[in-house]
Order: sequence, then structure tokens, then C-alpha cells
Amino acid sequence: MNGLFEFLFKYRPVLFEEGEVAFLSPWPVGVVVLAASLAAAVALFTYGRAHARTGPARRSGLAVLRAAALLLVALAVMQPALVLSTVVPQRNFVAVLVDDSRSMNIEDADGESRAEKARRLLDPQGPLATGLADRFAVRWFRFSGVAQRAPGGVEGLAFDGSRTRIGAALEHAAQQMQGVPLSGLVVVSDGGDNGGSPMGEALLPLRAASVPVFALGLGDERVDADVQIGRADVPERAMAGSSLLVNVQLSAPGYGGRTVSVVAEDMGRIVASEEVTLPGGGRPVVVPIAMKLETPGARELAFRVPSLPGERVLENNELRAMVQVRERTEKILYFEGEPRHEVAFMLRAVRHDEQLQVVLLQRTAENKFFRRNLDDALELLGGFPTEREELYQYRALILGSVEAGFFNHDQLEMIADFVSVRGGMLLMLGGRRSLAEGGYDGTPLEDVLPVALDAPGGASPTERLVFVKVAPTPAGTRHPATRIEDGAEASAARWDSLPPVSTTNLLTRLKPGATQLLRGSVVDGPGDPADRIVMAYQRYGKGRSAVLGVQDTWLWQMDHSVSLEDQSHETFWSQLLRWLVSETPGQVEASPRSGSVEPGEAATIEAVVADEGFGPVNGATVTARVTSPTGEVRDWPMEWQVDEDGKYAATFVPEAAGVYEVAVEAARDSVFLGTGLTSLRVAPGTAEFRDPRQRTTLMERLAEETGGRYYSKDTAEQLPGDLAVVGGGVTVREERDLWDMPALFLFLAGLLAAEWALRRKWGWA
Amino acid sequence: MRPGLRRFLTTAVAGCGAAGSAALLLALAGREGDRPGAASGARTGQAGSGAVFAAPAREALERGLAGLGPPSFAAPPGGAPSAAHRMSIAQRPPPEWHEFYFTRAAYSSFRGYGRRGSWATDYPKADRQFLTVLRRLTNLDAFAHENAVLLTDERLRRYPFLYALEVGYMALSPPEIEGLRTYLRAGGFLVIDDFWGTREWLQFEYQMRQVFPLLPIVDLDLDHPVFSTFYDIDEILQVPAYGRYWGGRTSERDGYVPYVRGIQDEEGRLMVIINWNTDLGDAWEWAEQPDYPLQYSTFAYQMGVNMIVYAMSH
Repeated sequence: MNGLFEFLFKYRPVLFEEGEVAFLSPWPVGVVVLAASLAAAVALFTYGRAHARTGPARRSGLAVLRAAALLLVALAVMQPALVLSTVVPQRNFVAVLVDDSRSMNIEDADGESRAEKARRLLDPQGPLATGLADRFAVRWFRFSGVAQRAPGGVEGLAFDGSRTRIGAALEHAAQQMQGVPLSGLVVVSDGGDNGGSPMGEALLPLRAASVPVFALGLGDERVDADVQIGRADVPERAMAGSSLLVNVQLSAPGYGGRTVSVVAEDMGRIVASEEVTLPGGGRPVVVPIAMKLETPGARELAFRVPSLPGERVLENNELRAMVQVRERTEKILYFEGEPRHEVAFMLRAVRHDEQLQVVLLQRTAENKFFRRNLDDALELLGGFPTEREELYQYRALILGSVEAGFFNHDQLEMIADFVSVRGGMLLMLGGRRSLAEGGYDGTPLEDVLPVALDAPGGASPTERLVFVKVAPTPAGTRHPATRIEDGAEASAARWDSLPPVSTTNLLTRLKPGATQLLRGSVVDGPGDPADRIVMAYQRYGKGRSAVLGVQDTWLWQMDHSVSLEDQSHETFWSQLLRWLVSETPGQVEASPRSGSVEPGEAATIEAVVADEGFGPVNGATVTARVTSPTGEVRDWPMEWQVDEDGKYAATFVPEAAGVYEVAVEAARDSVFLGTGLTSLRVAPGTAEFRDPRQRTTLMERLAEETGGRYYSKDTAEQLPGDLAVVGGGVTVREERDLWDMPALFLFLAGLLAAEWALRRKWGWA
Repeated sequence: MRPGLRRFLTTAVAGCGAAGSAALLLALAGREGDRPGAASGARTGQAGSGAVFAAPAREALERGLAGLGPPSFAAPPGGAPSAAHRMSIAQRPPPEWHEFYFTRAAYSSFRGYGRRGSWATDYPKADRQFLTVLRRLTNLDAFAHENAVLLTDERLRRYPFLYALEVGYMALSPPEIEGLRTYLRAGGFLVIDDFWGTREWLQFEYQMRQVFPLLPIVDLDLDHPVFSTFYDIDEILQVPAYGRYWGGRTSERDGYVPYVRGIQDEEGRLMVIINWNTDLGDAWEWAEQPDYPLQYSTFAYQMGVNMIVYAMSH
């Protein structure tokens, strides 16, 4: 299309976009227009007098054709020209930035790698390089994680960088070229930016300085055959021995219908494997992989799929991530409003779990409480906490069959804040005094809960009682709280083997955003509706809330149909309680800004520090103690980040590859606030291969937002010429004739030919 | 008829209501002469020797069940169906659902009362009176009526609290032994009461050895949580049977010192509480009698409440 345009109008569209049309004729425009008008009037008059030979319509048509031809001639006589500001040869600079990362080694469908294409296109003797060199003083840069000068041009590139930061490279090149007339920046890349920083920030100074970016995109825009792990949702923290669910996103264009096995490894030891049938059309599929991590500390997980025949990019078949496996006792407060068997059986189920301390507060009579599993005799001495600091020491709160009226309004708000502000987990159990039956509708907890509190359907618990057969939903089949057997099918079969349990709470409506894990089918009792929500959860503020709407899960232990060897009840409660506390933050929480960096690349550790009431603390003394893979320990003071209350950060440069363990300690006014553990993986990354396609959208955006142009390998030769007229720097006014463009003559010839043909047809010639 | 028996019958009838009173009267009337040590039973073996008394004992038990409708032995007030029948929750929800059922173990024995076995001692008045007080003292959602279940009944495990007394005459059949073992291993909790002296202890101990050959029976000290779960109990009293308290004497046979003992599983979970040389059930049953010392009925109720709250929280 551009070729046709250039044939007709003599120049490419970009010149018309950048230039202005002017008339160079020495004659005044008025004179030319007057002469053309007179000639046209004569033509009209002549045709007007020839009325005896034909009708007025035909005469008018011929007159218009003749007049148009005369005006076109007049236009050519006025010498139209395109006025451009073109750069003065060799007076301006151009920075050429070449992507030096590993992804440039990916072989495209034509059998040529992107690196080879870059070498060919930027060959010093090639048209692109010579075109640039003829017009500009060219400065070469190479970039991957960082940008640096490349005096040798493309020849000196190794294409071995493990990260691509296009934005940072542009900033670096623009800074290097400060003080010289810079016409533009040329970026040669596949666009696989994975620096993690927003591109817009890097482009702002270029736009302000009117420095256009000319993007030369390399690589196939679609990959026909590739299996890759796009991402894995590995939590930052996990409890040792807990069931952990990691969603692994897999895509495999060209391999739809095949079955592959996704393997998870913990420091080289296979801990889980899941088979998946790949969807067609390259559509991504999420594979939930459940595993248990037994060893505490910083653990490196690897997720892997095997390579398939014909696959060109193998590096993206594996993904690694860090998780902090902690082994410490987590406190859960279980407040039960009456003696219930559920209490005894639940406590027995987790009695061997040294990481769980279920503190029981049980109301055995009016204003009489029984306490168990306390730290000291003073704990909960006054009953349910009335101060936030007292409640917030627990990571999760379980409310049993206790009516809302037991609490005052401040306590109900405090429980809601426990979830939304402290980030804790609230689990409300079913019972005759809980949920809607306990009068929680209209209280601050109604919003917190993941289910709608419908009005009780009967006068007494007995009338409302139904027995439900519990089954996991699709989400619950693999969820760490409800997966009671290894493998989704085995877990579902185990659920199916358990006896029905009872509920007096009518739970049928899930709130938007909530997730249902267990459902119940009414097998006995007033079964309308027949399907009940048994377990659901949702995020609320910083924390989460859940409902387990049945009241006698102990039947999964005590029913005659359950064998003594069956561990379903124990497994369920152990996993559920561990899940409750799995994401609850402590007063000090640390995490790396980026989970993985390269050796020699700056790494930033961030920490959030809160007081006992979980309010942010700004004036704390915070230190990150970093233990390197070689065992070297170094303390890094962390600075408060002005943009966010309670947030601190420290940056250091790890030189050696391996796992760095970080312990962040915080204190305020000599009062110790807590310790947050995290880890950092230092290794060459594989993010370069995560999506091997050329990111055309990003490359086009670079050019569009800065006033530059995007080129493919096929149009790359046009780049120097376009840059000469589009780029800034030292420019000169240049006039290019338009009167001799073929389109003008073709149009004139067309008008005259049409007039002659009509005259012939109508017998005038 | 023993002194006060007529008064007892009157009270029992009044307490239980009109419905089922005939059966109850019939059952309770059979107590006279069957009281351990007061009359002879159909003993076919030697006490404490581990001899099998099962066949006639089971027959007696089954007769008792057959006469009163399986597996409950008294009807609640109002003429409703028998409690046990109403509690068959394995297949359908009970017409009256409660968190707690005071469940009495109906076991085989080599002597007992009338057509029933020794398990039915003080039944059902003791159960009902205790439940009345239990419901007032605590906020436990307890079924107000008695609930007797065979040790071989598959519904047994649906009632995690079990009460058995007069175990000095216990003669468990192999299915009952297996039923009780499974019940306790699964998580059930058994309270033993009302047996006296060395001979009855040996018989009970032999029976428990059939259930748990390797688990020892240990004394529970006063610092055990069961003595402070609801009430703080600082002394183990010997609770005498009604009619046995004369001139300050509280013991029977050679059971002069009361004990609270227990059987724990390998992990320390208390499965069985054994109240030996004491009779909590009689104190529950006769608490309303002016001539029954208040201190004993108070202690009995305190122990009963503590054991239940303990079972439901440990």
C-alpha cells in the first residue's frame, strides 16, 4: 500500500505527515487562478453555445471536465512542493539500542534467530546501517538488564542478558546523549520487557524532549509450537507440613489435545505431579497443584513440563519461585457459646499439630467460661477480648454457636476490624446460635461473612434441622482446606464416603466475590432448597472470612460407617485450621520487591511494620539481616518509605548466585515489634522466554507515544529516511517538487481522455 | 418393700408424667429384691473369675428391650414415641434435635432388676433428674429424657457421652466388647458409676481387660482437669446409696474409700472415668428427698456436670 502511495504521490506518507505543502511559482496565486478561471469560463461558454447539437446535461458534463482539466493545469503551473525540515547530514546524532538479552537467540519460524536478524539488518555495510551513517552520527548501545555503550556496534553483542529493561535502557541512552543534537533513538528488540517497571515513566522525559523512538521489532508475532509455564501463584509464606495449592498457568499453542505432566519440585525433590490435557488454540489452562512442604526455611520450588516434539523454546518449560516455609506455633482463638461435641473432636483432631495452638474459650453457663490451651492463667481471664490488642494477638478467630447479642457493638466492630484491618481470618461455624439464627444480620459482621444471612426458616433448631451430604465444589476439590486426600479424584471419593452431617442454618446465597468450597445436598429433613452452602470464604479488607455451616463434623469421626483408621476428620480440621492462619500477617512482614534478581543486580527488600493494634509504625528502627548463600551475614538498615505509612525498604547488591535469607527485625522506643522472614533468589532468570512472541504492541506503543515509527524487518530500510525528516536536532528547510508527481498527470490525462471519449460517443469528434 | 419405696414410686410417677407410667412403675417395682447385695440374682458363674455369663444375661437384656420397645425403655411425657426410636438420626433427622443426649449403656449382666439387667439401676429417674439440673446449671442443649442404647447398636457412636453403672455385674458379650472398644477408640467417653468393693471391682476390671487388655487403669488426682472444668472440686466424697446412709455410714461391702479412676489411650486421652465405691446415680435420683444429705447430692451433681463438660471440651 505504501509502495502504491509512493508511486502516485512521489513520496512516502511519512513525508506528507511531517511536511507542509507550498506553491513555488513566481506568479502570484491570484493571477494564476484568474487565468485558469477565464480559461474555464471560455470552455463553459463554448459548450454552452453548442446547444443545437446536444442537450444541456451533456454539454454541462463536457464543460465541467474541460474546466477541471484547466484548473489542474493551473495547479501544476503554481509549482506545488513539499516543505520539510530535514536533518543536516552528520550534524545530528542517533542512538541505536540493540537488545542483548537471551530471548534474541530464539529461532523464528524462518529458521533465523532474532540475533541473526539483528546482525544482518545492522550489518555495517547494509542499507540500514549505511543509511543511518550517511545521515547521522550513530552511537551504539546494547541493553538487557542494564544499558551500556557498544562501540563495536552489533558485532560485539553476545545476546546473553537474562533480563530486558527497555524503559531503563531508553533513559540511560537519553542521558548519555544529553548535550548533543539528538534526532532520535532506534530500539532493536523483540519487545520482551520484563523489568517490572512501568514503561510510561521512562517515556515521559523523551516526550518532553521531543526525542522520537524508532522501534525495529524482531521475532515472530505468534509462536506455532511451544509449551510454557506462564506463571505459578506461589504464596510468599507457607506452614511446614501444610497442604499448599499452587495454581500453575500453562499454555501450549500447537499442542492442543495432548496430555502432559506438570511436576513440582522442592529443592530438587519431586513433591507433586499433576496431569493435564492441553486445550486447543493455545488457550491457557490453570493447573492446580497441591503439595506439602515439610522442611522449614527458604525453599526454592520448581515447576516443570516436559518438552514436546518440535518445540523451539525449551527455557520456558520451567519456572522457579521461592516460598518461606515457617515452623512456628500459630494461635487461634476458638470462642464457643455452649458445650458442644464439636469442640472436643476438633481439638483432638489437631492435638498433635505443634504449629497450631487453639485457645478455647467456651461459655459453659451464663457468664461462666472454660478456658483451655492458654499461654498463662491471665489469658482471656475476663472472657472474650474487649481490646483490639488482646484480640489481635491471635491469627484466626473461630466463632461457634454464640449469638450476636453476647457481644456489644464495639466487640462486633472489633471482630470486623480483626479481619479488615489486622488481616486475620474469621471462621463462623454453624449452630443454633450462629449466623442468621444467632442474629448476626444487621451487625458489623454481616458484611464480613461470605454468605447472605437469610431469615431462619423455622421456629426451632429442630424444625430447621436437615442432614446434608457434603461434597466439594470444583474449587474445593483441590483447595488446601478441603482436599482431604492426595489427588482430586481421591479427595472427592473420600468426601463421598463420609456420612451426612446436620445443619440448622439456611445458607443458600453466596455473596459476590465469595468462593464456595463445600456444598451440601439435603438427604433428610425439610429439603427446600435441596442445595446448601456448607463452606465458603471471601476476602474482606486485608483478611478473609469463612463459614462452615454445619454443626457436627464430629460425625465424620463417630458415625458407625467410619472406620477407626479413617483420618478424614483429623485431616479436614488440621488443614482447615492451618489454612486459616496461612496468610495472616504478623506485626512485621518482609518480602523482596522482586522475587528473583540476577547476580550483580540491585535487590530491594521491603517490610511493613505495625504495632500491637496493627496500626502502621513510621518511626521504627528496622534492620534487614541478610545471610548470603556462602553464610556471610550482613545487616542493612531499612529506610521508611515516605509514600506509605509503615513501609520500609533496603537495597543491596547480591553478587553470588543462590538463595539469600533475610530476617527483618523492627523495634520502636526499645520495644521489640517483631521479626519478618523472607528470602531472595539470585539467579539468571528465564523470564526472557516466558512469552517468546514479539511484543509488537509494546514496540508500537514506544514509537507512537514518542512520535516515532514502528518497523518490521521488512520495512527496516525505510528507517533512516524517515528518521531524517521526523527526527529532531539540527535541521534544514528542504523543498521537494510535487507538480511532477504521477498522480497529477494521471488525473489530468484521465479528465482529457474522458472528455474526448464522450465527444466521440456523442458524435462531436 | 424397702422404707420409702412407696414415696419413691409416687415421685417417679409425678416426675415422669402420666404417659409411660405403667411401664415405668413396672420396671421400678422390679427393683425390690434385685438390688445388689439385697437379693439373689440368676448368677451362673463366679464373680471376678472371668466366667461367661453372657447367654442368660443377654436374654434378660433382650427381654427388657422387647418389653419396652427398642432400644429405649421409657416413654417421654406426652405419650410421644419412645426416645430411642426418635433418636435414630442415622437415617432421618430426629423430631427433636439436641446437642447432647445423656446416654446410658445397656449392657449384658449376670444379675439385674426384674427382666432387665443391672444397667437399668436407677433408670430412668436418675437420668431425668440429673438432666433437669444439668439443663438449669449449664447452657448445654441437652435432651431432657433418658436415652439407653445397646453397646452393639450402630447408633451408639452418635452419642459421644455414655454412662454405665452397676458394672460389678457386667458380663459383656464379644459383640458388646467390640462395640465398646470401637466406641471408645473412635472418640467416645464413658462414665462408670455405682459399684462397690473388691469383688465388683475385679469383675469390672476383668470386663475392661476384655476391651483394652493393655491399657492401665489409673487414679485421677484432684489436679486433673475433670475436677475443675466447671466446678472446682477439692475432695472426692463417698456418695452413699439412698437408704444406706445410717449413722454416717456411706460405704457398702468393703468399699470404704471412694476412688475416681480413669483409662487413657496411648496418647493420654481420657476415655473412661470410673467412680468406684460411690453412687452418684442414687444421689441424682434421690436428691429431692429431705432425708438424703444435701452434701452428697451436691457433690454428685457437680461431678456429673464436670464430667460432661470435660467430655465435650477435651
